[in-house]
Amino acid sequence: MANYDSGASYPDSSQGGLLTRCLFSTRHKTIGLQYLWLALFSVFLGMAMSLLMRIQLVWPSVHLPFLSSLGNSPDRFAALTTLHGSLMVFLVLTAAPQAGFGNYFLPLQIGAREMAFPALNLLALWVTMASFVGLTGAFLISPQSGIALWIVGVALFCAASLLNALNFSVTTIDLRVKGMTLPRLPLTVWAWFINAILGMLIFSILLAACVCLLSDRLLNTHFFPPFHFPAMQQAGVVTGAVPVLWQRLFWFFAQAEVYVAMLPSFGLITHLISTFSRKSVWQERLVVLALCGVGLFGFCVWGQHMFSSGLNPFSPLGFSLLASSLGLPATILMVSWLGTLWNARMQLNTAMLFALGFISLFLSGGLSGIFLARHDLASAAVSDDFVTGHFHLVMGVAATFAILGALFFWFPKLFGRRLNEPLGKLHFWITFAGVYCVFMPMHWLGLIAHSRVSPGTPVAFVAAAGSAIRTFITVAIVLTVFAQGLFLINFLWSLFRGEKTEERNPWRATTLEWSVPSPPPPDDFGPSDPVVYRGAYEFSVPDVAEDFLPQHLAPEQGAKARESVE
Amino acid sequence: MPGTTAFPDVELVVDDVGGGGGGPTPPPSGGDDDKRRRPGTPSPNRYYTGITLGIVSILMFFMALASAFLVRRGTSGDWIPVHLPAVLWLNTLALVASSVTLERARRSLSGLDLSGFRKLWAVTTGLGALFLIGQLVAWRQLVAQGVFMASNPASSFFYIFTAAHGVHLLGGIGALFYVLVRKFDGTSIALPTAAEVVSYYWHFMDGLWIFLLALLYLGK
Repeated sequence: MANYDSGASYPDSSQGGLLTRCLFSTRHKTIGLQYLWLALFSVFLGMAMSLLMRIQLVWPSVHLPFLSSLGNSPDRFAALTTLHGSLMVFLVLTAAPQAGFGNYFLPLQIGAREMAFPALNLLALWVTMASFVGLTGAFLISPQSGIALWIVGVALFCAASLLNALNFSVTTIDLRVKGMTLPRLPLTVWAWFINAILGMLIFSILLAACVCLLSDRLLNTHFFPPFHFPAMQQAGVVTGAVPVLWQRLFWFFAQAEVYVAMLPSFGLITHLISTFSRKSVWQERLVVLALCGVGLFGFCVWGQHMFSSGLNPFSPLGFSLLASSLGLPATILMVSWLGTLWNARMQLNTAMLFALGFISLFLSGGLSGIFLARHDLASAAVSDDFVTGHFHLVMGVAATFAILGALFFWFPKLFGRRLNEPLGKLHFWITFAGVYCVFMPMHWLGLIAHSRVSPGTPVAFVAAAGSAIRTFITVAIVLTVFAQGLFLINFLWSLFRGEKTEERNPWRATTLEWSVPSPPPPDDFGPSDPVVYRGAYEFSVPDVAEDFLPQHLAPEQGAKARESVE
Repeated sequence: MPGTTAFPDVELVVDDVGGGGGGPTPPPSGGDDDKRRRPGTPSPNRYYTGITLGIVSILMFFMALASAFLVRRGTSGDWIPVHLPAVLWLNTLALVASSVTLERARRSLSGLDLSGFRKLWAVTTGLGALFLIGQLVAWRQLVAQGVFMASNPASSFFYIFTAAHGVHLLGGIGALFYVLVRKFDGTSIALPTAAEVVSYYWHFMDGLWIFLLALLYLGK
């Protein structure tokens, strides 16, 4: 049971040593920032891994620092892929938008001052840190014990995510400030909330699966008996056995995990687009329903991957339909974004550029997803570059764009300084072009590999085209990764030397976090709780001096603003 | 007398929840009806919501194991059913009895009979510990018969179900013990709130065990 040492008496942050202040603080802002630092470190580590993989693919003879010292074997390459994937999916895409930004801004946006259970929050942070150590440590030791350590890392991450999900949902349900009714919640909060509910259901399942898997490896049990896949063996992808039961439990989690990474991004993007279009969200209620729909469908489509991996569980058509029906909420979101942008006086700063980039990536990635929702195409394409391209575009890069957009948006609130805009825009354009150059050709590679199956295609032609594309991808990825150096420079420079923002609300946004100083004081809202009077997206309201009405502005103050116009 | 000072607060809470009993989530009240709270003090409702959602999450964990149990039993030829040790039935009796004493303890508490509450609460904690010891005895008996964790899938599932339930129940015993020894003077959670929240969890653990036992018994 968490002790809640709140009331009006928050311990002063200047007391205690560095350790107490940074590592053992139960403050939601400190914890949120630590998740963001962890994600920043992981994303650069993960990118370095992808660079090594591409170089190894194109120039296999080149001796790589990591791979060669550990034996330049396929095993090491697989370990590298696993490390890249687990770091990026768990610690960046899952942790940064939810645990990072969520911990910092969910209480601020609902006027809560703290999460519901601060001690659990700290515990979750430390379990996540332990999971990071487990996942990376697994790469450095021998493969046999490495796999066991990796499973422990994943199980720890599940446990931490469960604690986080519990904290997030209880905070949203019970800790909202006076006047913050459900329809007035910012869409970011809606997305975090729905995501927490979804996370609470699916991370339990992965945790159970990890417990069984670990017991299989360490205690010689046979929860997951070997099973031979006809489809996989034909494609020559996996020779040997893959446990069928594991696949069921894993995909139950993993299919929904895609939406766990995407849901907070949807919320963030909708929020950014509304703020920088200076318009209210088009069909806000429908967007909330669509977010719920993403959560619900995301939970139901677990079977979709089974036919693509050759398991063919019950009815491929049924799951195919379910997977396609995810297009419905996605389309609603897309239409709402476009409707908000329609005729808007857009402010094209870096945060908005990243939001628009997200829409573009989500659209292109979603279109290739339609091919994969067809079960006959999916089983042909599952193992190859088509899926790699699709998955990276829609989940990896799009979610990263949402994280970057949110960072540019909230940086003034987090640190009281702005990120450099020209450098940010340069970084955006290089990255935007770069990721398309990397992941679009991967779709082609997948299609070429597929066409090789059909008779009559000259093998030499296919091989030559494939290798040229591979080299192109590798060159593009080197450039894109180095462009991230621009971001790192911008980030570190702005942290210490960036333009200071004296005002509380530099973006002229409406939600509660902009009503407090930047960075927010330890008790967030000062002596009295804020009161919320209206919805989160009141932009360009007629007869008001400013083009926005903050949620906490009392109606009398709003009326004064009206008089000053007249 | 610890706890008495906190009673007025608590009655408000119980009103909000509508009597409770492990039922549905209390209605979200964060928005509009919190005028009586000091600024910055979060609603005590969060404990009820937290335990309800936590129970859902734990239920999902065991449902995943249960579905794995059913799928694994149906797909393999190496399944040798476990003969359940008789001591399990005694354990179950102890656990059900603990739920009864827990409710009686809470009734004493609402009748402001603190010493009666503590006595019954201690009995509940003791019965919980007795259950766990009984589970260990069951394991010893199985080991003596030569049925180990790795013997066959059925025995693996038996051990993993009992172990996972035992770990969760150990948490429940910890919570019971916490309520027993903690002085509820300066804490934000009041004694009756703590007792009620712990009781949800304990009854859930009780029901979960009966479900698991039925699964193991009928599914062998």
